[in-house]
Amino acid sequence: MTAIADNINDLSRQILAGNIGAGARAIRWLDDGDPRGADVLSLIFPHTGRAHLIGITGPPGAGKSSLTNTLITEQRRRGRRVGVIAIDPSSPFTGGAILGDRVRMAQHTVDPDVFIRSIGTRGQAGGLSRSSHDACLVLDAMNYDVIFVETVGVGQDEIDVVALAHTTLIIGVPGLGDEVQAVKAGLMEAGDIFVINKADRDGYDDTYRQFELMLHLRAESVSRNEIDKKASAWSPPLLRAVAKRAEGTVEIVDATDAHREYLQNSGHFVKRSSHREREQFICLLREAVVDEIMEGMDEGILNRILRREIDPYTAASHELARWKGNTTS
Amino acid sequence: MNTMPTASWVGFKMLKKTRPLRILLAKLGMDTHTVGITVIAHALREAGMEVIFTGLKQTPDMVAAAAVQEDVDVVGISTLSAGHTRSLPKLARLLREAGAGDKLLLAGGVIPEEDRQLLEDAGVDRIFTMGSDTRDIVAYLQEWWLNKSESTEV
Repeated sequence: MTAIADNINDLSRQILAGNIGAGARAIRWLDDGDPRGADVLSLIFPHTGRAHLIGITGPPGAGKSSLTNTLITEQRRRGRRVGVIAIDPSSPFTGGAILGDRVRMAQHTVDPDVFIRSIGTRGQAGGLSRSSHDACLVLDAMNYDVIFVETVGVGQDEIDVVALAHTTLIIGVPGLGDEVQAVKAGLMEAGDIFVINKADRDGYDDTYRQFELMLHLRAESVSRNEIDKKASAWSPPLLRAVAKRAEGTVEIVDATDAHREYLQNSGHFVKRSSHREREQFICLLREAVVDEIMEGMDEGILNRILRREIDPYTAASHELARWKGNTTS
Repeated sequence: MNTMPTASWVGFKMLKKTRPLRILLAKLGMDTHTVGITVIAHALREAGMEVIFTGLKQTPDMVAAAAVQEDVDVVGISTLSAGHTRSLPKLARLLREAGAGDKLLLAGGVIPEEDRQLLEDAGVDRIFTMGSDTRDIVAYLQEWWLNKSESTEV
């Protein structure tokens, strides 16, 4: 293997040629907020937008990693190169993390056409890391056909992955809560494909009925909502799986393929990608502007809030006015 | 290739020394004793490091491939059932061949003193034997990390 280049232009060329070490380095820079990461991204960005991004989300212990493992196998059988971004939680106290998603995917480690990257959330809520989007762009530029983004175990509304992925799989398991859980907002509203994993377990039939009811109610509400024509034309399938025996894998990949075809035929593939880039742009701008305001801020105002002399709204208006004054003068 | 001049993004202000150290922990071969590696993983996590755990029954090829994909700074191998005189030199060689020879390679577990020289000659940077204090391992890594951050571009 050729050495990883240390200048931005050569490294970008290596990434476009599919060099794993170069891609891995760029992802680390972007994850660390290293300025070199943004420089690489600016060079490779024109070559992205082709890969099918598939989000995999669900509660902790639903079998997301095991299922991803079987989906990699099936995607490889179909001749596709596969990238995986596997996200696990960072400690909010120490910043450290134990990233263990690879354990379930070990069989693909030495396949040169599979690239698995573990990423810690590093304080980001919503089920992803701040760098997830950027890591996907690097894998996209490396010409992986399919990129799986496995979120941390999520609760009811940590659905940032929906804005990132073209296709979102919601993984459920038997025995978690009753139908009230299933019809709550958030997770269940978001998915494009629903999978009940561990379908060989007790309670599968009940869980299936709850999901079915929820999807039925969702279809009813969508058909009345003419604005969201996107959702109304795609009817989310409900599938069963037993990941540890690779049951249901073919059907799930059939469904993700069908969803990709649906997105492409309806023009939504590009639309979802551009929506994602717009969100990222706004997010970056917001971060940078807040940083800039904070840098020039009078520390005293924080103390005044602590002493309850000024409320947060007034303080924010004050700081915003100060910043505007500085930038226009 | 885009030939536009690149302007560094102002939002990225990372300080080299503040990025978390990434370390891959694995066990090679048919060795399923996991208590030690689990304790180490937690100690490193508590010290603010990102631990990538790749599991048991790994081959040197798997560890080398994962180390490149994860772009870790350190590779740590736990070995408690022999075989280390063959697997560790092979891993060190594979890392070098993969262009990842700059990663720190650590070994821990049941490693007889008479094997030490052979392993160190083969490219194992540091060996922690049975009874090592996790605080010493953390301190060693932190010092190594500080030196590396100060001396080179990381």
